Amino acid sequence: MASVSQLQRQFVEYTTSLYNEGYLDDQFTQLQKLQDESNPDFVVEVVSLFFEDSEKLLNNLATALQQKIVDYKQVDSHVHQFKGSSSSIGAQRVTNVCVHFRNYCEEKNLDGCLRCLQQVKHEYILVRNKLEALFRLEQQILQAGGSIPMME
Amino acid sequence: MASGVRRFFDKILLSATSSERNHLPAARRSNVNQEHEFRCYSVFVARLAIMGMLAVLIGLLTLFTWHFTKVYTRTSLNSLAYGLRYELLQRPILRMWKILNSTVEITTSQVRISEYVIRKYSKAENQAQQVELYEVMRDVTWALFSSRKALNSMSIKYRNGFVQAFHRDLRDKNTYYIYSNLDNYTMVEPYGMNRSSPHDLEWNDQMIHGNVSAIWYREPLDPDTGRKTGKQKVIPPDELINIAGISQVPDGAASWHVAVSKFTNSPLLSAALPVWDEDRGSIVAVVGVTTALYSVGQLMKELVEIHGGHIYLTSQEGWLLATSSGTPLLRNSSGGFALTMAKDSQDEIIRSAAEWLNKTYRHKPPLNHEVHSATTTLGHQRYYIDSFFLNLTRLPMVGVLCIPRKNIMGKVDAREIKTLIILISASVCILVVGCICIFILTNGVSKEMKLRAELISHLDARRKAEASSNFKSQFLANMSHELRTPMAAVIGLLDILLCDDSLSNEQYATISQIRRCSTALLRLLNNILDISKVESGKLVLEEAEYDLGRELEGLVDMFSVQCKNRNVEAIIDLSDDMPKVVRGDSGRVVQIFANLISNSIKFTTSGSIILRGWCENLNSFSNNENFFVDHRALWNAYQKKIKRKGLDGKRTSKNDNIVILFFEVEDTGCGIDPSKWESVFESFEQADPSTTRLHGGTGLGLCIVRTLVNKMGGEIRVAKKNGSGTLMQLYLLLSTPADVPRESYRLKFAENNLKVVLALNGGTNRAILSRWLLKLGVSIWEANEWNELTRILQEMFKPARIESLSSEGVEMEILIIVIDIGMLNISTDIWKEQLNFLDAFSRRAKFGWILNHDTSNTIKIELRRRGHLLMVNGPLYKTKLIQIIEAIIKESNLDQPKKNIMWTDAHAQSSNDSEVTETNSTESFTAYGSVVSHCFPELTDDRSEWDRLTSVPNGNLNCEQQIHQKVKNGQKALEGLHILLAEDNPILQRVATIMLEQVGAKVVVVGDGVQAVETLSIQKVENFNNSCDPPPFDLILMDCQMPKMDGYEATKAIRRVEMESESHIPIVALTAHAMSSDEAKCLEVGMDAYLTKPIDCKLMVSTILSLTKCNNLTLT
Repeated sequence: MASVSQLQRQFVEYTTSLYNEGYLDDQFTQLQKLQDESNPDFVVEVVSLFFEDSEKLLNNLATALQQKIVDYKQVDSHVHQFKGSSSSIGAQRVTNVCVHFRNYCEEKNLDGCLRCLQQVKHEYILVRNKLEALFRLEQQILQAGGSIPMME
Repeated sequence: MASGVRRFFDKILLSATSSERNHLPAARRSNVNQEHEFRCYSVFVARLAIMGMLAVLIGLLTLFTWHFTKVYTRTSLNSLAYGLRYELLQRPILRMWKILNSTVEITTSQVRISEYVIRKYSKAENQAQQVELYEVMRDVTWALFSSRKALNSMSIKYRNGFVQAFHRDLRDKNTYYIYSNLDNYTMVEPYGMNRSSPHDLEWNDQMIHGNVSAIWYREPLDPDTGRKTGKQKVIPPDELINIAGISQVPDGAASWHVAVSKFTNSPLLSAALPVWDEDRGSIVAVVGVTTALYSVGQLMKELVEIHGGHIYLTSQEGWLLATSSGTPLLRNSSGGFALTMAKDSQDEIIRSAAEWLNKTYRHKPPLNHEVHSATTTLGHQRYYIDSFFLNLTRLPMVGVLCIPRKNIMGKVDAREIKTLIILISASVCILVVGCICIFILTNGVSKEMKLRAELISHLDARRKAEASSNFKSQFLANMSHELRTPMAAVIGLLDILLCDDSLSNEQYATISQIRRCSTALLRLLNNILDISKVESGKLVLEEAEYDLGRELEGLVDMFSVQCKNRNVEAIIDLSDDMPKVVRGDSGRVVQIFANLISNSIKFTTSGSIILRGWCENLNSFSNNENFFVDHRALWNAYQKKIKRKGLDGKRTSKNDNIVILFFEVEDTGCGIDPSKWESVFESFEQADPSTTRLHGGTGLGLCIVRTLVNKMGGEIRVAKKNGSGTLMQLYLLLSTPADVPRESYRLKFAENNLKVVLALNGGTNRAILSRWLLKLGVSIWEANEWNELTRILQEMFKPARIESLSSEGVEMEILIIVIDIGMLNISTDIWKEQLNFLDAFSRRAKFGWILNHDTSNTIKIELRRRGHLLMVNGPLYKTKLIQIIEAIIKESNLDQPKKNIMWTDAHAQSSNDSEVTETNSTESFTAYGSVVSHCFPELTDDRSEWDRLTSVPNGNLNCEQQIHQKVKNGQKALEGLHILLAEDNPILQRVATIMLEQVGAKVVVVGDGVQAVETLSIQKVENFNNSCDPPPFDLILMDCQMPKMDGYEATKAIRRVEMESESHIPIVALTAHAMSSDEAKCLEVGMDAYLTKPIDCKLMVSTILSLTKCNNLTLT
């Protein structure tokens, strides 16, 4: 079972690096804690919900910002939603960019908004890749017959 | 000229703009400058326009004035001048006419007489008769001639060539008679000779000239009598006078002409009339009369002399007849004297006038009508020229008058020019003055405009500054929220960690250290939030009644733990007259003292910290020497308070009176340098910056304190203190309900004949308490340490005394021993023996134990076992002492068996709780919830939530306790609860659902506010129909920002519906904002509590429990 323990260690290291680099915060830990026998795929479920929601929101944002007359209120509400959902899964960096984004919205600064949109997209894709990698690792551990180590 | 004007205005503009620029602060942005230039420019244009209008107005005025004055004078003068000229011209012409008339008359009369005489002598037959005829004729002619002095000559030329003539030489005033000799004349019929031949009628001069042989004589006559005065002289014919001949009357009619004589220098008017014979068949003689026109000239001269003008008369052809000038009228030509033409006159004026007339009316018959010209330039002067035509049949004449314009209009013209100059200069002056006035006036206006513009820009700047300051506080609030959220998470997670049993001791210590640091950080954040709140003016003080004493005692209780650890005594000394209940913001008052006390603790390493308080009624307040009070400020604050009270008099009862509460916080720490006494109250200011590292802190505490104190109408300052340390003095204006009954324990104490032994460690506190008890009439013994106590006790309970005591009866006196647990030697086992010693007195005395926070359970259990049930947590203060004493009195009065009473203070249950949860050591946070929450922020992120939790009425405290139990017990805390979650975000939906389900709640999820409201109403209806099926919701978790209908609206709608049914479902807000305004908004629309995202599981559970507990508890 060396591979399992190796995988487990890898998993732990990876998760720790995610926390350290600020991709995730304790909210994600809380999510993980909520996952139990009754909800075995809770984290994956919520995170994929987040992915769906984010894709939709990002699309909405992109179209909203391409309008000739940008409706900042709408943009703001989208960003707010995005901020809420990202903070709920603990995608900290996305949340942070969202905060900046909202400031630009308030200033009605189109350049800033567009820049932030790019940033948000970037951060979102990053965090998505990271999370997907994490889940793949989880899958591997489970397939190898090991249990997922709990992060404290 | 125009360019000069422009340059001038440019200069003005330049100076205006430059002066404006000087007014402006140098560091203005360029667009402002431009704006200013534009404004200045517009002012300048307006100014120019006004000036231009003024100029036009004044110019017109001047022109009109000048024109009218000129025109009227000129017209009247002109008409006058015309009259004058007419008159002047008329008179010589009349004279001329008169001369002509008189000449004609005399000629006619001569002719008549001659006819008569000649007829009489027509039949003359001889020389004698002929001579007689001539004699008669001579006499007759003389008679006529002498009667007319103006006549120049009078002549009769007979047909036969005989001439008789009288001549007046005007030069030498002589009169001559001229005649021809008769010898050469044949006696011929004077008439009838040539009767048949008509051509005979035409005499011609040849006849006379042919008669050259005739000798003419001249004899001087006496001008008056006509007598001969001298010898006759022979003269050549025609020498002196023109004798009118037949040739002059060729058609037998009278003829007129102007003749020239060499004896006079003036032309002569000569008239010739024929003398006919009886039957008018032939002319017998010709009578000629000449009159000098000299007199006309003379008259003219007189007339025009005063006017300096000229008059002349010409014949129609232009021959000069008479002039007013002295120039000769005759020309000495080769053929003798001849008339001159007017245009050839030697007089320049006349000549030029004639020329002018000729030139002007050259080809037309000019002189048939009158000519009047007022503007003719002759020579170098302007003249009036008028001509008058005298139309005589035979001798048409023209009179011309030239009067220099200067003579008539000269003064007018001069005046005119002067007037014009004066008018122009006056109007220029007015214009200049007006322009200056306009400039000054508009300058004032423009200055005002400038000022106004500046004011506007200042206002703008102020608005901006305010906005930026608002941004700042917004930023601070936001930041503090952003910071507090993770902090709360950190603290919460640390708490979870601390609960973990598997930690090693080192780890535990580290984690608790981290927790302390986090708490400190959170406190700092709260301070910053407070400051920003105060600065943005959002701090509103509550008005609620509360027990000030209890709050302060609680505060001291709380700090006592810290003090004990530092070996510092925390003492509260409130005077008895302090009002029990005051109205105000308890949280803020407590914050003031918490800040002050924590400050003192920070800088005090040993000794004591005393909080003193006393009260003065404002009305009875007299100048207190010891205390600073700015009376005016106090009075102002008082007035304000009164006013405010008047404004919301409905809320506060009329009986409230305002009291001044004085406080002192004294410590024995390092003290503050007097030079820093003022500046310590500034933001981020510490008395000694070097201590920052040692003691920490931001320097915000005192700033907040002062702001709060000022807000409550008080003042704070650092006062002088004897010895080391700091003395802070402050006063607050608070209103108290007037009719609060004051307990009179004094009487009770005195009645019971109390004796108290105070065995306390802290000297200061003991002294204060004993002084107070003495004042109440209670006997006091003080003990500082164990040995002293034993000494006192032994002294008191000497056997003899005991007996006397027993004989007198126990009821007579009650002995109370208040003993500090610190008196016992706990470090070793000696304390048990000490207890044994004390037990000896337990029958006679009552014990009140003062426990420490760290008193171990074994001691407590031991004490209880031994029947010492009266225990209070330190520190001891009046209220606690009173409670102890009262309890003992009651006990002894009722003489009840010993009861299991555990006295602490008013918050009995909470204190119990604190004992239960004592693991949290230093924090003891569950006691005095609201107090603590200000000083030691809890796990809870949200203070109001905590307030909500702790401000539950006392009756429900049991519930609360159980909740705590439940929370501690963990998992299934929300078992059986039915919760409606309104949340649009799928992720949050999912997370919250799982969280809630994990703790046992049943969750229904809806996506927006509309659905939430609908779900509730459906449920209600169903409830009506079938009360048991779906259980009603116990609580709603409501996201604030949702599509379609947001949380606020939904809550409002739900509350509206509830109004009808009088039910109340708890609603908890979920929001990503943590601003206080959001919180206020949530509570305003009717929500009960408030949770921030991301959701903290623990907090959510506790919140939900606190809101649902009672129904829930009754269920379980």
